[in-house]
Amino acid sequence: MNARHIQVLPLICWTLCVQPLSAQGLGNAQPNPAPQPAVQGAAVPRIGQSHTDPESGETPNPQILGMEIPLLDPASDTVSYNGAKFDVGNNALVRARFEKYLQQNPDDSTEAKRYRKKLRSLLKLTQKSARSSREVGSETLLKIGNGLYEMNDYPGDGGVSGSLASAIASAISVQYANRSRSRKNEALQKEIDKLVEKTNMMNNRNTGRGSSSNVIVGKADGGGASNARTNTFAIAHNTKKIATLEATGVKNDADSIAAMELAKINFQSTIVSMLMQRRYDHALIGAHVYRHVFNDGDTTLKLNSESQAAQLFEGGVGLPPTVNTMATIAANMRHEVDQNMEAVANMLAQNKLSDATQSLIQAVAVGEYMQSVATFPVEGRRRIAEFWSLRRRALTTLNARDYGALEEIASKMKALDPDFDDSMLTSYCAGRKAQSDLHLRNAAKALKAGDDATFNEEITKAGTIWPKNPNLEKGRQQLEKLDNQDPVRDEFRTLMARKEYRTIYNEQDKFEVVAVDPELKQQYKDAITLIGTIDGMLAQLEIAAKQDTTMGPCMAYEMLLEHGEKDERYKEDSRYRDALNRFALGAHEFTKALENAKACEERREYGSALSNYYRAQCLYPRSTMAGEGARRVTEIILKAQF
Amino acid sequence: MLGGGGGVLLLAVVAALVMKPSESREDSPDSRFSVADYRQDASRLTGNSYRLKARVENIESIGNDRLVAVSLPGNPQERLPLLVRSGSAGRVNLTRGDTFLFHVVCRNGKDEQGLDVKGVMVVEKVETE
Repeated sequence: MNARHIQVLPLICWTLCVQPLSAQGLGNAQPNPAPQPAVQGAAVPRIGQSHTDPESGETPNPQILGMEIPLLDPASDTVSYNGAKFDVGNNALVRARFEKYLQQNPDDSTEAKRYRKKLRSLLKLTQKSARSSREVGSETLLKIGNGLYEMNDYPGDGGVSGSLASAIASAISVQYANRSRSRKNEALQKEIDKLVEKTNMMNNRNTGRGSSSNVIVGKADGGGASNARTNTFAIAHNTKKIATLEATGVKNDADSIAAMELAKINFQSTIVSMLMQRRYDHALIGAHVYRHVFNDGDTTLKLNSESQAAQLFEGGVGLPPTVNTMATIAANMRHEVDQNMEAVANMLAQNKLSDATQSLIQAVAVGEYMQSVATFPVEGRRRIAEFWSLRRRALTTLNARDYGALEEIASKMKALDPDFDDSMLTSYCAGRKAQSDLHLRNAAKALKAGDDATFNEEITKAGTIWPKNPNLEKGRQQLEKLDNQDPVRDEFRTLMARKEYRTIYNEQDKFEVVAVDPELKQQYKDAITLIGTIDGMLAQLEIAAKQDTTMGPCMAYEMLLEHGEKDERYKEDSRYRDALNRFALGAHEFTKALENAKACEERREYGSALSNYYRAQCLYPRSTMAGEGARRVTEIILKAQF
Repeated sequence: MLGGGGGVLLLAVVAALVMKPSESREDSPDSRFSVADYRQDASRLTGNSYRLKARVENIESIGNDRLVAVSLPGNPQERLPLLVRSGSAGRVNLTRGDTFLFHVVCRNGKDEQGLDVKGVMVVEKVETE
C-alpha cells in the first residue's frame, strides 16, 4: 500500500463510517442498484454509478461499495465526493465534529483511563500471541473475548468491543460445530466401512468364492435359492445405505466449509468496519486474533474481485487484500495520528496556529477515538478554537463577499499566527475591491454622460462584486438624484428664466444633475462660474477697500460698474448690487463726479463734463472711466469751432 | 436834480457795470469764479468773461490748439479745462506747473457734425504772472 492510500484511506474510513454499514456489503458484494433514468435530463450521479462531469471532463472518482470515495486533494484541502468538492475545513460534518471536539474537555476520567489501560493490555496480549508461532489456546481467546466484553460497558466504546467479542465467539462456535460435524463424519465412515465389509461377505457367499463361500446365508434346510435371493436384497440394501451415508458425510463437509467461509466473512467484516470507524486498536486486535481463530492459514479477504473494495485494497501494490493488510493500515493510522498530535503540540508552542489547526483537524478526522487525540489538552483546544472561529468567519464573510470585514479577520488571524500567509487573501480582497470601485467610477462617468443604462449596469456590477462597498451609497444617492431629475430640471429652468443665478449657485449640488442634459449643462456651468467670479471679486475688493479707505472704494466701485456694464447678468445678482451701493457710498465724491460728467456729456455741456472727469481723476487718478471720458470730451472740444 | 427816468437809467448803468466781470479791474483775477459752479452748469455762464490766475496742470493738444487743465489757487482738487487756440497765448509759453493769468470767455460752439458744444472756457489772452 503506497503512501497516497495511507493518506487517503482515513478520510475514506471516516466518511464511510457515517454511512450505514449495511450498505457496505463486505464479502457479499451487493449488486449495485440499477442506474435510474436521470430526472429532467440532469446528470445526477447515482449510487454505484461512475460519475463524469461532461463539461469539465473531470475523471470520475473511484467507487467503493456502491458509494464514491472521497478523495483528498492535499493542494487545496478539498475532498471530492459524489461529484462535489468540499473543503475539509468547511465541510459541515467535519466542521460540526471538529467544533464539538474543540469544545470538549480532554477525556481523562477514571473510566476512560481504565478503558484505555485494558485496551492497551489486550492489544499487547494479541500482539504477543501474533508474534508467537504457537497456536493460541481457547483460554487466551476466552480471555480476550471476556476483556472485550468488559470494555463494552464503557460508554465511549460505542459497542465495538462487544461486536469484536461476538465475532470471535461466533467464529469459535462455528469451529465447534465443524468439529462436531467432523466427528459425525468419522462415525459415518466407520459405519460405511462395516457395511462394505458385510456386503462383501454376502456377495462372496452368493458367488461361492473365498473362505466364506462355503457358508450359506440363510436357513440350512433346502432353501438355497431363497437364501441367495435374500443376500441379493441385503447387498442392495447395504449399497444404498453406504451411498446415503457417504452423501451425508459429503454434505457435512460442505456445511463445514460453508460455515467456515461465512464465519471468516463475518469476522473480516467486523475488522473492516472497525477500520472504517477509525477504531484502529480494535481492528488490530481483530486482525491479530484472526489467524488463531481461523488457523487454516488463509487470511485473504473474502471480497468479490469485482468489488471496488477489493480493487482499493489491491490498488497499492497489486497484491490480494488480506487481514494483514488491514492490520498494517490500522497500525500506520495509529502512528500517523500520534505523529500529527505531536506536531500539533510543537506548532502550538511556536504559535503556528494555522498549521496546528490543519494538523489537528486531520488528526481528529482520522483518529478521533485515539488516546493522543482524546487527551489533547484544553488550553491547546481553546487556542485552536479561537483561530478556527476566525477561519469560519473568514469563510462566511468570503461567501458574503464582505471584503472589508474579510481583511480585518485576516489581520486578526495574522496577529494570532505571524506565520499565517494572508497574502493571497488580502490580495484577492484588494483586487475585488478595486474591481468594484472601477465599476463605480464607470458608473459615475456614465452618469455625467447621461447614460442611464450604463450607469445602472455598472452600479449592479459593482454591487455584485462587493455588496458592502461604502462607495455604493454615493451611487445610490446619485440614483435618487436621477429619479428626481425632472422636477429639478424644471426648477433650474425657472431660476434661469428669473436670472436667479445665486440660488442655483447656493444649491449647486442639487442642480448638478441637470448637467446630464447637454442643453442645460452650459447654463449650469455659466451660472456657477458667474457667481463664483462675483464672489471672488467681491472678496478681493473688500480687502482692497479696507486697505485704502480713500481710493479703495473708488476702485471697487469702478471695477464693479465696469463688470456690470460688460455683463448685464452681474446686475441681476443681489450681492453685486449690494456691494455696488456700499462702495458707491464710500466713494461718494467720485461717483458723483462721474455721474455729473455723464449727465453733462449728455446735455452736450462738454466744459462741465470735462471738469467733472478731472474731478473724478483727482479723487482716483487710476480711474479708467474718468480717463476715457476726459480723453473723449477733450477731443470733442479741441475739434469744435467756437 | 435828475428826473424819475434819469434815476432808472443811472441804476441800470450801475447794474451793468456790476454784472460785467470783464470790466472789472484789468490787473486782478476774477475771484468770483468757482470751478464747482462751473462743473454743475457751465451753460449758465455762457458769454461771461473772466480773468483767472491759474496753474497749468496738464496740456492736451491737437495741432496747435491746446486744452489746458488748470487749478485755481486754494483749490488744488479741482481742474478747469481751458481751450487755448493757436495764437491766443501770444508769445507766452504755457508750461506745466507754471501759473499764468488767463483771460477767458465762456462760449458755445459747434462740433464737426454741427452739434452744440456748450460751456467751454476759451482763452483769449494769456499773461505771465
